[in-house]
Amino acid sequence: MSSADAVRDSIYRSCMYKDDMEWEKWLNLCDEDFQYSITAYSPEIRNDMIYLSGGRDEMLGMMKMLPKHNSDHSPLKRHCSVYTVDLEDDGATATAVSSVVVYQTQLDGINCHVDAGSSNVFLVGRYFDKFRIADGVAKFVEREVKLDTRKLDKGTHYPI
Amino acid sequence: MARSRNHEQWTSPPPFTSSEYVDSRIYSDQEIFEEELEKIFKKSWIPVCHESELPEPYDFRTVTIAKEPVILTRAKDGKIRAFLNVCPHRGNMLERSPSGSFLDGSPSGNPRHITCMFHAWQFDMKGRCIYISRQEEGYQDRLKKQQMGLRELKCEVYFGGFVWVSLNDQIDMTVEEWSAGSLAVLKPSLDEEPLEVFHYHKAIIPCNYKLWHDTNCEFYHDYLHYHNRITGFNDAYFARKNTGFDNGHINVGSFEVQYDNYEGSHSREEISFPHLPPNHWYMIDMFPGVNFNLRGSSLRCDIMTPLGPDKVMIEFRGLGLKSDDAVTRRARIDHHNSIWGPFGRNLHEDLLAVTGQGAAMNPRAEKRQILHGRHENETIHDENGMRHFYEEWGRWMDRMPSNPDKPFAESAGA
Repeated sequence: MSSADAVRDSIYRSCMYKDDMEWEKWLNLCDEDFQYSITAYSPEIRNDMIYLSGGRDEMLGMMKMLPKHNSDHSPLKRHCSVYTVDLEDDGATATAVSSVVVYQTQLDGINCHVDAGSSNVFLVGRYFDKFRIADGVAKFVEREVKLDTRKLDKGTHYPI
Repeated sequence: MARSRNHEQWTSPPPFTSSEYVDSRIYSDQEIFEEELEKIFKKSWIPVCHESELPEPYDFRTVTIAKEPVILTRAKDGKIRAFLNVCPHRGNMLERSPSGSFLDGSPSGNPRHITCMFHAWQFDMKGRCIYISRQEEGYQDRLKKQQMGLRELKCEVYFGGFVWVSLNDQIDMTVEEWSAGSLAVLKPSLDEEPLEVFHYHKAIIPCNYKLWHDTNCEFYHDYLHYHNRITGFNDAYFARKNTGFDNGHINVGSFEVQYDNYEGSHSREEISFPHLPPNHWYMIDMFPGVNFNLRGSSLRCDIMTPLGPDKVMIEFRGLGLKSDDAVTRRARIDHHNSIWGPFGRNLHEDLLAVTGQGAAMNPRAEKRQILHGRHENETIHDENGMRHFYEEWGRWMDRMPSNPDKPFAESAGA
């Protein structure tokens, strides 16, 4: 597999693992110093914002705490298209930009008898990723989920 | 013996006084909702944004109060003014962007002017009409620019730089008087130095605005939040006082939050707001739908815009000190959003709960009596805050919250 293919493979696998709520498997695609953030630009306050951020261990800790929290368990599915993969000259690092649309299929968020099973667009944005590549494997060192969507209604406890 | 109830039992008054429960119809009835806009939201002071959202001359911000579009401008004199965001010519909405600057011209108009894109009428930052296209040709001397100014609204900047607007020209009190002392507990912290908004997001939730306000007014629902149970629920927490003020406002007293008890969470001590004891947490709920919530290092403000009896837009803002360096600001953002952001631990839980209330309160549903009857010496799990709110609501609406078909009568405890 080429380095560019390895990058694409990691991006798509990360989507599948998160879709399946396999948080540890998702984070195993990430290096120890991985940094995750969800950001958005607000035209209301004309500023960049950080909605959520954390390192690998913080994200894992947060996910492990979820059973103690009340959450909307409606699953999220990420539809992702990798637009660009740019390999650095050193061959050991890369950046990638992907489009992402997240669909939410209602389960227990509102009135399940009426709403369960219906899908809606939850958010729209892009992934800006940085990778470290070794032995044909591309590990995430940074992911910024840059959202267009800022009306997030109930929100979610799940990373995007 | 505990048992379930039939229709008659279910709809019978609970074993409380009439001030200790409300009829769920006040959360779902269209007529009551329209009346609330007229009698309450068009008559009182509403904070609509923060001055840092329009920091420079010619900046603007657009908002909505009681279905009325409103535009705020900052003029060259530095003053923020509010107007109906409506062209006096044909009633078109003047500005459609959430915020921006009039320094640049628009396709239909000149720089430094508010221009209606429809027929190019132009206005300055003080609301004066300064240009009517082909004025003499069309209006001869029958209509003058001096007669076509924008509709100016009462506007004040108060309490840490929040911008307050009233649609009511006859309102006979300042924001300070309207707050009736409820803001005093946080005023030193917010007025010590300029603040700045670092977070904004909104939620449109299928529930009545009062259900969100209720949730902000009562802490009995901390059973919903693992974070609050593990970082609170000690003697100091249960001693927190709920205090009522005139005009339906309340305070929730403070205690020291044990942030370290929640895995991954840390003390906010090093970047506490001025004059705030480390890791303390105060809350102010203002009638009819505003919340100021200061948790040590970051201030949250919820502004509710009712959109229907079963629909509310809630705007969530996070604020820090304008003087923050990058590291401090980042820490404040983390503290704020780990709990209150759209991906935070607590806000999602609160919104889930009120969504469930909204889903269970259709206008023609069998009557529910929503209980506000807890008495715990006006401490944190007492429901006196909600009782205080509904006493005020009944007064403004001339309806009994427990039976909205009846005219309001003061409760014995009022």
